[in-house]
Amino acid sequence: MNELYLFLLMVIPLAAAGVVALGPAGREKSVSMAAMLLCGVITLLLLLAFDWTRAATMQFEASVAWLPRLGLSLSVGVDSVALLLIALTALLGPICVACSYTAITERVRTYYAWLLVLQSAMFGVFAARDLVLFYIAFEFTLVPMYVLIALYGSTNRKKAATKFFLYTFTGSMIALAGLVYVAWHAAEMRKGWSFDIATLELAARTLPASAQGWVLAALLAGFAVKVPLFPLHTWLPLAHTEAPTAGSVILAGVLLKLGTYGIYRFAIPFAPAAFAEYAPAISAVCIVGILYGGLICWVQTDVKKLVAYSSVAHLGFCILGMAALNTAGLSGSIMYMINHGLSTGALFLLIGMIYERYHTRNMKELGGLAAKMPVWATFMVFFAMASVGLPGLNGFVSEFLCLIGAFQADGRWGAGSMGSGLWGSGGAAVPGATWGSLGPWYAGVAGVGMIVAAMYLLYMVGRVVFGPLVEPAGHGHEAHGSESHAAPGHGSESHAAPGHGSESRATTGHGSESRATTERVHGVLPADLNLREILTLAPLAVLCLGLGVYPTPVLEAINGPVQKTAYMVEDAVKPRLAGERAPAGVRPVFDLGGHEATNPDGTKPKEGEVIGQ
Amino acid sequence: MVADMLAWVPSFAGSVAAMAQHGAEAVRGAAQEAASHGPAVEAAGAGVGGIALPGMGSKLYGLIPLLPLLGCAVCGLLAALKVKSKLPAWMTVVLLGASFILTAVMFNDVSVKGHGAPVVSHLFEWIRVHWGMGERATSLVANFAFYIDSLTCLWMLFVTGLGTLIALYASEYMSHDVGAGYCRFFAAFNLFVFSMACLVMGDNLLLLYLGWEGVGLCSYLLIGYFYKKPSAVAAAKKAFIVNRIGDLGLALGVMLAFVHFGSLEYSVIFEKAGPYIAAMKAGRLEEIPAIVQLIPVLLMVGAFGKSAQLPLYVWLPDAMEGPTPVSALIHAATMVTAGVYLVARAYPLFLLSEIALPIVAWTGALTALLAATIGMAQFDIKRIMAYSTVSQLGYMFAGLGVLTSAGAGFHVFTHAFFKAMLFLSCGAVMHGFAGQLDLRKLSGVGKVPGWRIVSMAMLVGCLNLAGFPVITAGYWSKDMILGGAFANPHMQAIGWILLVTAGLTAYYTFRVYFRVFAGPVEYEPGDELHAHGDDGHGHDGHAPEGRATTGHASEGHATSEHFHPHAPGWAINTVLAVLAVSAFAVIGLRFIGGHEGWAADMVEQSTARYEGAAAYEMAGGHAAGSGHAGASGHALFFGFDAHKAMMVVSGIVGLIGIAAAFYLHYAGRTTAARAKADALLPAMGPVAGWAQHKWYVDELYDFLIVKPLWVLSNIFHLIDKLLVDGLVNVLGWIPRAMGGVLRPSQSGLLHNYAVGMAGGIALLLLIVVLVTRS
Repeated sequence: MNELYLFLLMVIPLAAAGVVALGPAGREKSVSMAAMLLCGVITLLLLLAFDWTRAATMQFEASVAWLPRLGLSLSVGVDSVALLLIALTALLGPICVACSYTAITERVRTYYAWLLVLQSAMFGVFAARDLVLFYIAFEFTLVPMYVLIALYGSTNRKKAATKFFLYTFTGSMIALAGLVYVAWHAAEMRKGWSFDIATLELAARTLPASAQGWVLAALLAGFAVKVPLFPLHTWLPLAHTEAPTAGSVILAGVLLKLGTYGIYRFAIPFAPAAFAEYAPAISAVCIVGILYGGLICWVQTDVKKLVAYSSVAHLGFCILGMAALNTAGLSGSIMYMINHGLSTGALFLLIGMIYERYHTRNMKELGGLAAKMPVWATFMVFFAMASVGLPGLNGFVSEFLCLIGAFQADGRWGAGSMGSGLWGSGGAAVPGATWGSLGPWYAGVAGVGMIVAAMYLLYMVGRVVFGPLVEPAGHGHEAHGSESHAAPGHGSESHAAPGHGSESRATTGHGSESRATTERVHGVLPADLNLREILTLAPLAVLCLGLGVYPTPVLEAINGPVQKTAYMVEDAVKPRLAGERAPAGVRPVFDLGGHEATNPDGTKPKEGEVIGQ
Repeated sequence: MVADMLAWVPSFAGSVAAMAQHGAEAVRGAAQEAASHGPAVEAAGAGVGGIALPGMGSKLYGLIPLLPLLGCAVCGLLAALKVKSKLPAWMTVVLLGASFILTAVMFNDVSVKGHGAPVVSHLFEWIRVHWGMGERATSLVANFAFYIDSLTCLWMLFVTGLGTLIALYASEYMSHDVGAGYCRFFAAFNLFVFSMACLVMGDNLLLLYLGWEGVGLCSYLLIGYFYKKPSAVAAAKKAFIVNRIGDLGLALGVMLAFVHFGSLEYSVIFEKAGPYIAAMKAGRLEEIPAIVQLIPVLLMVGAFGKSAQLPLYVWLPDAMEGPTPVSALIHAATMVTAGVYLVARAYPLFLLSEIALPIVAWTGALTALLAATIGMAQFDIKRIMAYSTVSQLGYMFAGLGVLTSAGAGFHVFTHAFFKAMLFLSCGAVMHGFAGQLDLRKLSGVGKVPGWRIVSMAMLVGCLNLAGFPVITAGYWSKDMILGGAFANPHMQAIGWILLVTAGLTAYYTFRVYFRVFAGPVEYEPGDELHAHGDDGHGHDGHAPEGRATTGHASEGHATSEHFHPHAPGWAINTVLAVLAVSAFAVIGLRFIGGHEGWAADMVEQSTARYEGAAAYEMAGGHAAGSGHAGASGHALFFGFDAHKAMMVVSGIVGLIGIAAAFYLHYAGRTTAARAKADALLPAMGPVAGWAQHKWYVDELYDFLIVKPLWVLSNIFHLIDKLLVDGLVNVLGWIPRAMGGVLRPSQSGLLHNYAVGMAGGIALLLLIVVLVTRS
C-alpha cells in the first residue's frame, strides 16, 4: 500500500481535474478542494509511514516498467528532502483552492482543472526517481502555469505568460541536454540504457573533469532560470505581477523550488567536483542577486512586484547555502526552500486579498490599511517579519544556517563538512583551499542583504499597513455603503475614509472600471478578512512560528540526506584535489549510521540498480 | 511540544510556592556541586521537547520569560475578542509581578546563596545541526536554555521590576485607548519583557540574538504604536533598520565565535578562551589570533546599534514617537542597556582584544559628549531625556572601556530607576497637558494642584541625573566610572571628556526642571486638546485631521485660559512615588557588600569580572601585575587618588551645572518663555542652531547614505528593465524574426504548446536513442 501512495498523489489530482473539466458545473470548488485535501491526507500518511531513522534512503520506492528496452520506467521514491517538499506542495494545494473562491468567477472549470493538473505535476517532480518522469513532470508544470497566467492574470497577462513559458522552457531544454548527456554516458558505461536517477548518479562519477564542467553549466542554465538566479530572473517579476493569487502562491511556493531542488538533486550529484570548483562563482552571483534584488525591491511601487523581486534576493541566500557544500549550509538551504514557500506564499495571499478588495497593487493608492483591516494587518506584519528573518520565526533559522555555512566553507575538506576545523586557529596550509572556499567575506557581504530585506519589507509595511488611511478612488463612498451592511462592526471606523477618497491618484478611467467590480466583490467580502481567508493564512502562520521556535525535527530529518550529499561532494573533490596538489592518499571510507558505505573507488551500492537493466 | 508546555504551565500555577521551595533546594545543591567557575548544568531531561517534570529546580526560572509570553498570547486573544476593559493591563501587571517575584527567588538562589556560580537551566532544544563523526563530530547547537549568574540577576531584577511598575503606570496612561489599541499595546509590552528575558538569560549567543531582534521588533511595534501618524511610522522604521545594521555586526560576531570556538554557548566559549586569557595575563599577546580579537569588535557593532552609540545613535531620539511608558521602559531603562549587557557578558573576549575596549571607551565618551551638547539645545522635554539616555549610555560604555565594569553595571542599575522615573514624569505632564512637551510653553507645573508627586519625582530624577553629590545614587554610580577613567593610566582623556559632560548633563537636566516645574505657573496646552471631548486624549490618529481643520489651533489658544490640566490618577502617582523612593534606596546598595557596593559585587561575580589584566594595558608596555587593579598601576589625579578626588570634583562639577541652570533659567524668570538663557542664544551665533539641529547628523546620513542608495537602487531598477531584461527580449526577437515563416504554429493556443512540447521531448529522446544505437 505504501508504494501506491506516491502514485496516488499524482493520479488523484489528475482524476479530479478530469472530473472538474467534464463533470457537472458548480461543483468545481468542492471537487478540487476534496482532491487537494485527499492529497493532504495521503501526504500525512506518508509523513507518518516514513522511516525517519533512514531519512537519506529512498523510501516508498515503486517502479512500473514502461519501455524496458529503452530503460524507461515510471519509478518513484522519496527521501526526507523530497518528502518535505511534497508536504509543502500538499499544504499549499488546498490553500490555493481556498484563495480562489471569490477571486475567480469566470471560466471556473478550466481554472480548477489546470490547478489540479499543476498539483499533480509538482508531486511528480518531487517523487520521481526516474529522469524521464522527472523531466516530463518538470516541463509539464509550465503548461498549467501558462494557462493560469494567460487566462486569469491581470492586464499584461499574455506577455507575462509567454515570457514565462519561453524563458523557462529554453532554460530547461539546455538542462535536458545536460541530463541526456549524463544518461548517454551511463549507457556507454553500463552497456544499456537506464534513466534511474541513482544509477545515473553513480555513473556521473566517472565523467571526465571537463565534461563535468559542461554538465554543470547545462544543468545550471536550466535550473538557475527557474530559481531564478541573477541575471536570469527577469521573467519572474512580470509573471508574479500578472498571475492570479493562487498562481503567485504556487509560483513562489513550489515552482521556484523546482529550480533549487533540481540543483540539489541533479547539479550537485551529477557534477560534484565541478560544482565545488565553481562554488565561489555561483555564490558571487547569489550575493549580487541578494543585494541587487533587494535594492530593486526598495524602489518598487507595485507591492506584488516588490515581493516578487524579494524572491530573487531570498533564493540567493538559498543557493548561497547550497554552494557552501557543507552540512550547515545545505541544511539551511533546504530549510530555506520550505520557509520561503511558507512566508512568501503567505505574502502573496495577503496581497491577493487586498487586490480582491481594491483592484490595485499600487502602493501610492494604498495606505494605512491597519485602520480598516486590523486582522489583515496583523498577518501582514507577522509574515513580513518572517520574511525579514526575525529570530523565533522560520526565516531566521535557514538564513542563519546558510550564512554560517558560507562562513565556514574555507575549502578544508574533511568529515563531510567543509571547514569544520577551528577557523582562524592557524594550522597547516590546506591543499586546494581555493576549491569551494567561500569564507567570511561571502557571509558578510551576503549578510548586508539582511539589512536590505528590513529596508524594503518595512518600507512596504510602513506604506501599506501603517500611516494615514489611503484607498483608491471609488472605494471611499460606494464601497462603504455596501460594506457597512456586510460588516456592521466596522461602520464606526469607516468614518475616516471618505476624506481620503479624493487624495488618491488613480486615473479616472481606472476608477470607473474598479467601481463596477467593487460592488460585486464587496457584496461578498467584508472590509477585513473573512473566516475563509483567515483559515487560509492560519496554517502558514502556525508553521512559520512552529518552524522558527522548534526547527530541530526538520533539521534532524534532513540531516541524513544532507550529510550524504556533503560526503558525496567531498568524495568527488578529494581525488581531484589530490591529483592537482599532492600525491593521492588513501581514500577515506565513511560509514555513517544509516548511510551507505562508500567503496574506495567512490561508488556506492544502491538498491535501485536493478531497475532498467 | 507546545502542548507539553501548555500542560506544564498550569501544573506549576497550582503550586508555585511549593515549586519555589523545590527550586531553591535543587539550585542550592547544584551550586554546591559546581566548582566556582564551572556552570552547574542541570539538564536531566534534555531530550527532544525536553521540558522536565516540575521540581527540576532551576527549570522554574524558565517561567520568568514564559509568564510574559503567556501574557502576550492572552492579550492577543483578548484583542481578537475585542475586549473593551482594562483587563489586559491588570493581567500584565500580575504576570510581570509574578515574574519579578521569581526573579527575586532566582537572585536569592544564584547570587546570594550560590555566590554567583552560574546555573544553566535547559528548557528545550531550539536549533541543532550535527555533522562529522568520531573526533571531528561537530554540532551547531542553540537551545532554549538559560545561563544564570549574578549579571543575569542584576539585569533581570530591574527588567521585571520596572516592567511591572511601568505596566501599572501604562494601565492609566493608555486608558484613552481601551478597546482600541489597549490589547495591542500590552501584547507588545509582554512580548518585549519576554524577548528581553531571552536576551539577558540566554545561555548561548543565538538565544541572545533572538532576544536582541525580539526587543527590536517590540520596539518597532511600540514606536509605531500611533500608526496613523507618519512620523511615528517613519521613526519605527528607522529604529528597526538602524538596529539591523548593528545586528549584522552582531550576527557576524556570533558566526565568527561559532566558527572559531565551535560552540555558541557561553560556558564553552569562555572555557575555550581560557588559554588565550592565560596568555594575555602573561603578556604573550602574540598567542592570541587576530580572529579572536576581531570577535569583540563585531559584537561591539551590535552593541552600539542597540544601545544607541555613535554612529548608530540616531534612531533613539526619534523613538520618542512611541507612548511614554514605552520610552521609559524600552528606550531608557532596559532595552537600550542590552548593548552594555552584551559587552559585559562577553567581557573576557573584550579583554583579549587590544583594540576593542579602547574603541568602546572612546565611542562611549564621544557619544556622551555629543548627545549632551544636543540635549542642551532641545526644547522638547522628552527629546532632552532621550539625548540624556544616549549620553548616559555613553558613560556606561566608557565605564566598560576604562575597565570599571563594576561601575558600568552599577550605573546601568541606578540609571534604569531614575531615567524611567524622569520619563514617566514627563509622560504625566504630556498626558495632563494635552501632549505639551515644549519647555517654553510650560512653567511652574509643580505648583499646580495635584501635581506635587510628579514634581517631586521629577526633582529626584533630575538630582540623580545631574549627579547631585552624596544624596543621589546617580552621583555614586557616575563617580565610579569617572574615578575608573582617571585611575586608568591609558584613559585620562576619557576622564576629562566625561567630567565635562557631567557638567553639561547637570545643566540641561535642571534647565528642564527649573523651566517646567519651578517658576511662575503658566502653561499652554498641547495640540491634543480637542481630543478631550470625544474619545479621550487620543495621542494617535488625529494628526491628519488636526492639521486639516485649521480651527483647532486657534481653538486651543482660545481655551488655554480655561484649560485645566488633567492631574494624574492613583496609578501614575503610585508608580512615581515608588520609583522616587527606590531611586533613593538604591544609594544603599553602594554601601552594602564589598568596598564598591552590591552592584559591583554582582558584576565581580560574573563573566564581566575584570581580573586585573586587559590586552590593551599589556600592549601598552605594562608588565603583568602592574595593571589597573594593582595599586601601583593607579593613575593619580593631580597627585590625589583618582577615586577619592572624583568624589569631590564630580560633585562640584554637578553643582556648577545646576547653578548655571538656576541662574539662566530660574532666577528672575517671570514668564514661561523668557529666561536669561534665551538672550544668550543669539550671542552664541550659529553654534546653538547647529546643536538644535542635532549637528545635522541625520541630514548628513541622508545625504551620504540614504540618498545615494536610493539613486543606486533606481539605477539598478533601470538596468534591470533595460539591460538585463532588454537583452532577453532581444534574444527573444531573433527566433521570432526568423520564424516568420512558421507563424501559423505560434498560435498562442495552449494546446498547441503542450502538444508541441510533448512532441519535442519525444523527438529528443528518439534522436538520443538512434544516435547511441547506430
